[in-house]
Amino acid sequence: METLRNTFDFSDFPRIDLMVAGFVAIFLVVFPLVPHSSFAMATMIQFLMFSLYGMGWNTIGGYGGQVDLGKAQYVGIGAYTTAVMLIRWDVPFWFSMPIGVCLAVGWSFIIGYPLFRLTGHYFAIATIATSLVLKDIFEVWDFVGAARGLEISPIKYSPPDFLRLIFKEDIYYYYIILGFFFLGILYVNWFRKSRLGFQLRSIKDNEEVAQSLGINVHWAKIKTYAIATAFVSLVGSFHACYIKNIEPEDTMSLDLSILIALMAMLGGAGSLWGPIIGAGVLIPLKSYLKEWLGAKAGLVGIDLIFYSLIIMVVSAAEPRGIWGIVEKIRRRKQV
Amino acid sequence: MALLEVHNLTKDFDGLRANDDISFTLDQGELVGLIGPNGAGKTTLFNCISGLHPVTSGRIIFDGQEITQLKPYEVARRGLARTFQVYVASGDLTVEENVMVGCFMRTRSRAQAKARAREILTDLRLSDLADYLMSELPVSAQKRVTMATALGSDPKLLLLDEVAAGLNPSEIDEIMTSIKHVHDDLGVTVMLIEHVMELVMKVSHRVVVLDYGKKIAEGEPAKVAKDPLVIKAYLGERYVREHAEELK
Amino acid sequence: MDILVSSLAAGILIGMVLALMALGLTIIFGVMDIVNFAHGEFLMIGMYAGLLTAQSTGMDPILTLPVAAAVGFLLGVICYFGFVKFLLRGPMVAQLLGTFGLMLFLRNLALLVFGSEDKGLHHGILVGKSFDVGMGVIIPATKLAAAGLSVLAFLAVWILMNRTKIGKALTATALDGQGARYMGIPTERMNALAWGIGGTSVTVAGALLVNFWSVNPFVGILFTMIAFAIVALGGFGSVPGAFFAGLVVGIITEIPGIWDFFTYTFNFEWMANVPMTSFKYMWVYLAYFVIMVVRPRGLFGWKH
Repeated sequence: METLRNTFDFSDFPRIDLMVAGFVAIFLVVFPLVPHSSFAMATMIQFLMFSLYGMGWNTIGGYGGQVDLGKAQYVGIGAYTTAVMLIRWDVPFWFSMPIGVCLAVGWSFIIGYPLFRLTGHYFAIATIATSLVLKDIFEVWDFVGAARGLEISPIKYSPPDFLRLIFKEDIYYYYIILGFFFLGILYVNWFRKSRLGFQLRSIKDNEEVAQSLGINVHWAKIKTYAIATAFVSLVGSFHACYIKNIEPEDTMSLDLSILIALMAMLGGAGSLWGPIIGAGVLIPLKSYLKEWLGAKAGLVGIDLIFYSLIIMVVSAAEPRGIWGIVEKIRRRKQV
Repeated sequence: MALLEVHNLTKDFDGLRANDDISFTLDQGELVGLIGPNGAGKTTLFNCISGLHPVTSGRIIFDGQEITQLKPYEVARRGLARTFQVYVASGDLTVEENVMVGCFMRTRSRAQAKARAREILTDLRLSDLADYLMSELPVSAQKRVTMATALGSDPKLLLLDEVAAGLNPSEIDEIMTSIKHVHDDLGVTVMLIEHVMELVMKVSHRVVVLDYGKKIAEGEPAKVAKDPLVIKAYLGERYVREHAEELK
Repeated sequence: MDILVSSLAAGILIGMVLALMALGLTIIFGVMDIVNFAHGEFLMIGMYAGLLTAQSTGMDPILTLPVAAAVGFLLGVICYFGFVKFLLRGPMVAQLLGTFGLMLFLRNLALLVFGSEDKGLHHGILVGKSFDVGMGVIIPATKLAAAGLSVLAFLAVWILMNRTKIGKALTATALDGQGARYMGIPTERMNALAWGIGGTSVTVAGALLVNFWSVNPFVGILFTMIAFAIVALGGFGSVPGAFFAGLVVGIITEIPGIWDFFTYTFNFEWMANVPMTSFKYMWVYLAYFVIMVVRPRGLFGWKH
């Protein structure tokens, strides 16, 4: 009962936050009904997906302060589970997605146990290493299509297929990922107030103190790592149905891992709104920069140059992200 | 009844002996000081007792059960809480949330943890600070908050590591009142490492003195202060002269 | 037998170049506790520097090293004063993502300037020549020269770090930055110097590597990971550690050849079916992971 109340209780935020959040929520719900380009629609779906990735990362990376740069391996596990099961055995999304989540979480426990014996840089680099090992394996594994990857051919199915998540129009994908997006916010809202959430924030503060307060630091980190993994794997499954063409190079690459961390960091790690703000800024920026500069001007890579400059400026100037700036201003006003 | 028994505890760091064959007991309801010069191994002793460092040899028995091999969080869950000498306030937890982390050891419910945290903060007269971040507080307040956090876990024994270091006299009075309140009114057994002699000699029932990792004396403050070994190792002739009145 | 010996020889030779590359990372890490994700991109720039100088001047590739060294030193110092200095004030996560941003920046700048195609060197006094050292082992002259010069460069940096005043000041900064500042060591300049030396050693390694390894803007990340593995194995911040770990990792990259040796010698059919060449670098990543978990201090670690 209390859990339920905590999940839906946003009352500790200032009213202005809730009003902005309310407007954004209404906008997200009505967006498909107002006229828009298909490019805008695709960008919005990407925004929602990356918000969810970021929310997942935020549990372990933001609240727990454990810089995880290997989340792409779980995107891969989710995406490949759904794609393989659909192509080979015609298992619909709603069954393969939970299986993918279970596989990803299982794998996260196996590697999380040794991983969390490390801290700081060592941990961050080790997460990259594990992710790249898995990617290398997938690149030679014929069962999952090796480096060519897998393709879900929509011709075999009759869209709109709600069980298998095969649609012709993006609007269906939009509302499904929007549903997950709202569920994700509710979950993180519960998480940040839960015992585990508090334990993690205490761990970020000081591990020795956390231990002396009865917190099994190693286990708390592994559990939260699994939660983050579940988020990421779920979106990975969705990615398979939405993109329909998956290969190790884009579902499991280091760039994706870092992008996931970047969402939360740019928006403000360790806050509920951070990953959403981060994705809201970065994803449109990235796609429109690519559209305007990358494709039209014929200059390869110039969009990514701008993009990387933004990353550099943010990390040098305000490492607590956009939300960090907001909080700082607010605290100053209070005092 | 003995709450904590330490038997022949020895701790080596790469050949350096930090604790050498230390034995003592704490009875339920006592308030005991642990003193000694810098580097005598006081904090190491606390770290060993609370499970942070594995001991080289010896046994630690808490509340009738052996805790020598337990992990720090297991020791904490049995009711042995501690504070740390240096507190780095880097995170974004407010004072109240900090105390709640302690309270969460005994409950899963956020409402209960919050209520208990409020209670403790009021009790220690810290409720005005509830919404500040730890990093915004002066050191004296931070130390009292870490005490409150440790109390959140409803401990039977509380180990305090230099809670009065670097405080001015009026702040020392404040923290002394807090310690007495925790001990007298909440019934928590307390052991404190302290360099501020005015505090430790006044509140302690007994003191244990360490020097070069060895226990060199143990007993009532007034008696220990007259012990020539202790004077030589730590207190110095001047302290004894100046406090001759009190020590009688 | 010859497969085994030539794999080991190739591994050791490449290992020497890799060690020089990782030396830059370990110095930077040792002095200021920051992990540079753009390290592989520095190598890539060194490769381009060597390649372009050789092509535009017609010089022998081996003679381009001073140019590459100068480029590397400037690159390191500019990166430090222009960017890294500001990162040091922030938390670790900002440092990781900041240097990742630097990596993306350099990579895409290279893409814009040099284009995406593979480029390699095909001329020079050493190209095409090789030594037959017996037992069927043939060593290309370029690799031998690159390995030898790497060892020389490595030695030079080692002497600089251990036998000179500047090196001692660097070590002091590494051990205790604040203490060093109190002793009158200009730590800010020491940090910049560490980036300069780090940049120099990695670009020189790049200029040597380009003699037998073609370059494109995307080569960086692979070498970044290899450098991380070497530094982890050798111990973060340890200079001699980096050398021996470089040799070990060089041999690890030759696991496919060693695998072939066992496959043919003992005629294991199941071994022949494993696509080992595709796993070439997986062993490096795996090695990093295992080393960190089993022995976090590395072989010669002195800082953790």
